[in-house]
Amino acid sequence: MVCVHGAGVSSREFQPFLEVLGRRHDAWTVDLPGFGPSGGPRRPLGMRALADALAEWLTAVGLDQAVLLGGSFGCQVAVDAAVRHPHRIAGLVLVGPTVDPAARSFIRQLLRWMRNAPHERASMAPLNLADYRDAGARRVVGAFTESLRDRIEDKLPHVLLPTLVVRGAQDRLVPQGWAEEVTRLLPAGRLAVVEGSGHMVPYRQPHALAGLVTEFLADEFAAAGDEDEAGPQEQRSAR
Amino acid sequence: MRASKAVASFDSATGMLRALSRFLAGRDVPALGQVPAAFELPLSGLLGGLNRLPVAVQERAYAASGWAEAIPQRRVGEVRSEALAAWVTGHYPRRRYPVIFIGSSNGALIHLAAALDAAWLPQTLLLPVRRRGVAPDDPVGDLAAVEGAGRALLAANPDLVLHHMHDPNQDRLMIAGMTYFRVKWRRLPEAYRRFIHDHLAPGGLVVGVDCTLRWPTTRIDDRYVFQFGALGDATPDEYRQGGPRVADLLARYGAPVRRWHPPAADGESPEAEWGLEPALLDDIRAFAGQHRIDLDLLRFDTPQRLSPAVADLYRSWYADRGLPTGRLLVESFLLLEPWWALRTGSVPYWTVFGTETFRAGLETYLNATDPYDEIRILLFNHGTDSIGLAGAQDWRRTAARARKIGVLTGVDGAVYPRDFAGFVRSHRELSQIRTRYPMPLPLNAASAAAALAARGGIGWHSAK
Repeated sequence: MVCVHGAGVSSREFQPFLEVLGRRHDAWTVDLPGFGPSGGPRRPLGMRALADALAEWLTAVGLDQAVLLGGSFGCQVAVDAAVRHPHRIAGLVLVGPTVDPAARSFIRQLLRWMRNAPHERASMAPLNLADYRDAGARRVVGAFTESLRDRIEDKLPHVLLPTLVVRGAQDRLVPQGWAEEVTRLLPAGRLAVVEGSGHMVPYRQPHALAGLVTEFLADEFAAAGDEDEAGPQEQRSAR
Repeated sequence: MRASKAVASFDSATGMLRALSRFLAGRDVPALGQVPAAFELPLSGLLGGLNRLPVAVQERAYAASGWAEAIPQRRVGEVRSEALAAWVTGHYPRRRYPVIFIGSSNGALIHLAAALDAAWLPQTLLLPVRRRGVAPDDPVGDLAAVEGAGRALLAANPDLVLHHMHDPNQDRLMIAGMTYFRVKWRRLPEAYRRFIHDHLAPGGLVVGVDCTLRWPTTRIDDRYVFQFGALGDATPDEYRQGGPRVADLLARYGAPVRRWHPPAADGESPEAEWGLEPALLDDIRAFAGQHRIDLDLLRFDTPQRLSPAVADLYRSWYADRGLPTGRLLVESFLLLEPWWALRTGSVPYWTVFGTETFRAGLETYLNATDPYDEIRILLFNHGTDSIGLAGAQDWRRTAARARKIGVLTGVDGAVYPRDFAGFVRSHRELSQIRTRYPMPLPLNAASAAAALAARGGIGWHSAK
């Protein structure tokens, strides 16, 4: 399982989740080029370039048949990668997939983000600020702009891999209607709603999410899961 | 006394009448059709606030809302059956209908009527009557306290039968300060005759809806019976003889007794809420013969019987229209949405209450039919942890049988069955489903009749 972070932030947001999931599965999290401590070109990369970098990284570290878990904008990167590099990827988990086409504008997203804020943990704010500082204003704005420009709804019907869609019950950025629409557009999608969480489910409800992911992996990749259990259990976090 | 004041707004018959009449006017049912859609959001917030109160306060608020709707005993004799019937027919848009159903209340029937562009005239209405100083677990005391009012009602209305109903299991909050008078017409009231005369399309069909469910009763007078308990998970024997589930319920609610002592039953009568008093059919038959109107009879033994049949009818109807058939909407008691069901291409499956029996019925249906991609379940909040109630988790498990999306719609699992905002939220969440379809032309009654009559337990035939 490889986790892909949201717009402007980094792998830090997945740390609590990986601590839980890493006990059961071979779990990784990546920093996309230019985010967190990862280096990158001066100009922010577009969606295709980010997805290609992710696929190249999978090749470089020799991960075959990985399951990608995207958080927010990370879902868009994961979906783009899955559509164009399906042979490298076995399945997807889309946690809070953005962007709802019914609110595709900077102002609307900002309003939704403000409505969502009370449902997040306060301890996440300093992490996000550190991530924004690392990435720099240009890349942060670039990622948000790319997020608004990318039409995930056009790609979802082409994702033939088993996909679990996860939504926090109080997520104001991803309303239930949009989460259902995402699931419906996926030929092999399934929706799960996590109680007591806003948009950032991996940070807010790491145990609940790990439970859902484990169940999903067992249902969809039963044979692969058996192999995992036979091998040594080890958490590897790659940056 | 104005009929709209006398009739309960929280009852099945009223809820179904509202849902169907609004559908026939091209409208959906926000907040059970009782407030304009614009108030929905603030109302949802306000009621959501009530959910944070302690359980005892919530229960009192629930009981008070029922009491506020009930009529004082001294005014029961002012209720007029004709005014009630005119109030019913006044709901429907003034136009011609190809089919008019008359008789038993039934949620699946409402969807059948919506599909056929048909009206439905209920046989039974609920008149809640205030009374003081009787505990919910004292049926004899309840009968003694309101018997006089019951007799006054009947003396003023020779065409009504009174089913005085007392259910300390499912209605224990409501009956804390009131009593349930369910009245049934045994003759076709003048307003119904006029409605059929003015609004049945030429060559149209009248269908008597006969749910034959019966329940043990105590006869008080010629047209007056007392029914203790009602259809749900508890059996008539549990209501009368008690048992571990009854003792457990009474202990949980801090009652001073561990079983009930109702008046002895001396026979069976049509179930107060769902069953049909057959005397009405004779009158409908005579009326139809006199005016040369085609009359059919739709007969089934228990309210849930129609639900899978109507669900399959909708499913094949969607297939015929070239629409996807993978979306199921499970409804509960009076939470009905015929407009949104059709608008979202949802197959409607109605459950009577949220108990294990009706959940098992849904599971049986799901076992027998092609899998659904999406299952949405609405749950009616009746305020009480009654015998056999299935929890939100149980219903969630059933919803999870969907291939893609299995959700409880408008349900706050943490506070069910005391979720005050659920009445409002379910409609709001349904209206957020994004895939929608154009409204269809009505189904043909003859083909619907053939499809339903082909199923076991349902009869649909000419009544001549």
